[in-house]
Amino acid sequence: MDIVSHSIRERTIAENSLVILLQGLHGQMTTVDLRDESTARGRIINVDAFMNIRLEKVLYRDRLGFMSSMDDLFITGRNVRYVHIPDHMNIIETIETQLAKIHCVRNFGARKEYSKNK
Amino acid sequence: MVVLKSLHPPSEGVRLQQADTTAVLDGKRLGAGTLFVAEAHLSWFDGSGMGFCLEYPTISLHAISRDLSAFPEEHLYVMVNAKLDDEAEAEQQNKASDDEESDSEDSGTITEIRFVPSDKTALEPMFSSMCDCQALHPDPDDADTDDDDYEGEEYDVEEAEQEQGQGHVQGDVPTFYTYEEGLSHLTAEGQATLERLEGMLAQSVAQQYHMAGVRTDVPSTEFEDGMEVDSNTVTGQFDDADVDH
Repeated sequence: MDIVSHSIRERTIAENSLVILLQGLHGQMTTVDLRDESTARGRIINVDAFMNIRLEKVLYRDRLGFMSSMDDLFITGRNVRYVHIPDHMNIIETIETQLAKIHCVRNFGARKEYSKNK
Repeated sequence: MVVLKSLHPPSEGVRLQQADTTAVLDGKRLGAGTLFVAEAHLSWFDGSGMGFCLEYPTISLHAISRDLSAFPEEHLYVMVNAKLDDEAEAEQQNKASDDEESDSEDSGTITEIRFVPSDKTALEPMFSSMCDCQALHPDPDDADTDDDDYEGEEYDVEEAEQEQGQGHVQGDVPTFYTYEEGLSHLTAEGQATLERLEGMLAQSVAQQYHMAGVRTDVPSTEFEDGMEVDSNTVTGQFDDADVDH
């Protein structure tokens, strides 16, 4: 999936909230705790501005403790309670990198290099 | 006990229709039917036209489950944060505990639905179309209402710049400078082109073609200073091309 959301609204939401940190977790193995106290551990495929999270190769433990594996899991943003950030990740750097990506797209039309390309 | 209602299948916004799909509701098989993934809601109908309908905001999560120890067939698992009808809700709340559902949880009522298509290759498209439709229904409670201020509104560039000077753009973020104000000066075609190219850029920043941003019929000499892009876009914004925001 794309790294930077195309929707202007989504980019704006992301830029103004910590969701941008979660968007920097694409590709990472993480655990997501849901509001109903079930958990899902898998690799993050995508997080959108509404905190909807898509995971793959998921080990899902439901609230009663039963485990099952799922290939692909989509969790609605409002049902997310916690997202476990992997210990090895530098949070500030991740946020700054994500912001830079957004700004990169935004400034596309105004870049000076543009003049060299006909 | 689920009461199936006589509903009409959706007539528009249907992203996917999967026939020969069994629905299993809280462990109870409802037989084969057709699943409709529509933009407005998710619905399923059996052969006699009876079925049920789910609203996306009530869907907590959905997944492709290929774990045969959890369920004997590969299927699309959907967790719904509601009961399907009042009768079932009342019954299940009175019962001590059901097979899978006990409502001693924070959320209270949860329904687990499994859609088992006979064609297992359909699971991926079923999953993705649900993801897409789910994204169309963001949680209204959660979103910061200020976010709406940034939605491509018609900004007057001078006005926005003036407000910026005061340290306050329309909306609530003082130092935030968006290019939305430029959008009001784009034609519909320019807008479409801009979005398409942004998509291209997101994939490969290195590739900058001559059309970057706008149109193809202008001599390259006009691009020398890199500032003028298109008469249709806001030159005012790009005057400070060096200033990064």
